[in-house]
Parts: sequence; C-alpha cells; structure tokens
Amino acid sequence: MSTPARRRLMRDFKRLQEDPPTGVSGAPTDNNIMIWNAVIFGPHDTPFEDGTFKLTIEFTEEYPNKPPTVRFVSKMFHPNVYADGGICLDILQNRWSPTYDVSAILTSIQSLLSDPNPNSPANAMAAQLYKENRREYEKRVKACVEQSFID
Amino acid sequence: MDEEDKISDSENQTKPEKMFTLKRWNSVAMWSWDCSTDTCAICRVQVMDACLRCQAESKKDATNKDVTCVVCWGECNHSFHHCCISLWVKQSNRCPLCQQEWSIQRLSS
Repeated sequence: MSTPARRRLMRDFKRLQEDPPTGVSGAPTDNNIMIWNAVIFGPHDTPFEDGTFKLTIEFTEEYPNKPPTVRFVSKMFHPNVYADGGICLDILQNRWSPTYDVSAILTSIQSLLSDPNPNSPANAMAAQLYKENRREYEKRVKACVEQSFID
Repeated sequence: MDEEDKISDSENQTKPEKMFTLKRWNSVAMWSWDCSTDTCAICRVQVMDACLRCQAESKKDATNKDVTCVVCWGECNHSFHHCCISLWVKQSNRCPLCQQEWSIQRLSS
C-alpha cells in the first residue's frame, strides 16, 4: 500500500541516489521501505576517520511530521550515543523539521561525530574523556573504528 | 552678430566647463516569482502540483475533477502545500524552513 510517508521515502531515496552526500550512504531494506540501513564513514581529521559505522533508521507513517528512530548498529564510543546505539541529537527530537530527509539526517549525524556535544552526554564516560583526557578518548574511539571493519 | 558672440564667449568663460554629459541611462529590473521555492519542502512535490497526500488519496470533488491542492505562503514568504503545512502546525506553529512563528500570508491555487 502506498501511503504519503512511503511516497516521501521513495523521494528521499531518489534524492540520495541522484545527489549523494559525501561520506554517507543509505537504502531501504529489501522488503520494507519503512526500515533503512545506512552507513556513515568517519569524517577525516577526526578520531572516527576510516570507520564504517552502520545504522538503522525506522520510520512511522507519520513521517515527515515525526522524526524516524535512528540507531547505530556498530559499537560506538561517542558522548552523544547511548550504549544501545540510540543517538542524542536535537534535530531527531525537539528540533525536528518536516523539511529534513534521509540525506539531511545522515549528514547531521556525520557532523555530530566531528563535533560532539559533551554538555548533554548520552555516554558519560565518553563525555568526560572528551573533555578531560582527549588522548584516552581518541584511543577508545579508534578501537571502535577497528571494530567497525569487522561487524 | 560679432557683438553677440563676444558676449556669449565671455559668459562661457565664467561658467565651469562640464566634465561629462549624461547621454543615456539604461535601467535594468530583475524579477522572480514571489515565493522562495517552487518545491514544497515538506512533501518534496512542486507546489503547483497536488501534494503527496492528495495524490495518494486522489481526492475528487462533485464534478469528478481533482480537487486543487492550494499553495500557502507564510509571512516569512516560505511556501508549502496548505495540506502539508496545516498538518505540521498542529504540532509546532513554526515555519519548518526558518523557524519563525508561522502565520498565513495568503493562499492560492
């Protein structure tokens, strides 16, 4: 059945293919356009560089009036990523706008990797190390980068 | 005749000579439609076409003609399908593009 949300997601997919942003990719799963798999490549000049981080994006029929649920499948060590992979990002919660699409969501998460916000931590340890012991933070992130090649 | 020439010559000497004269003035006007975008940023369909919701429901009126999905301009000059923006403002009364408080400037088909 074609609903407005599904039709919008088809348009998102078309745009993502025609005008792909650098360092991110995403596609709907084979049998369900409401669930997408995505990959974000770790941005250059950050400890996430070279990582291939996998995510799932789950939409509801209320999309684009309601944001999707985005979750990292790859293990992450980041001040704004919860242990279960959930992401603490304003545009995915209270600052959501129905003008965002998959492309905008993925590029926003990519820039969150470069610029963590340690003041609203989802991972207290990562936030503390980011602020107080950058070397140890980078070491823990690099371990995730290497883990991301395997899973 | 000679006398008159002499007079005008002396008058010219007192006036400072003009550096240049404006011979022609071409003005150029730029125009554009009075809306900042031609695609509804919410459903990503051209504002002049029916929105995704109306296309899916393929609304028909009594005459069995497609009901026109009207365009709605906000005070901020951003335009969306009226259907799309009215669903959004139920949730948050801000323009989805500029976050200004949303108020309708005009509607058109």
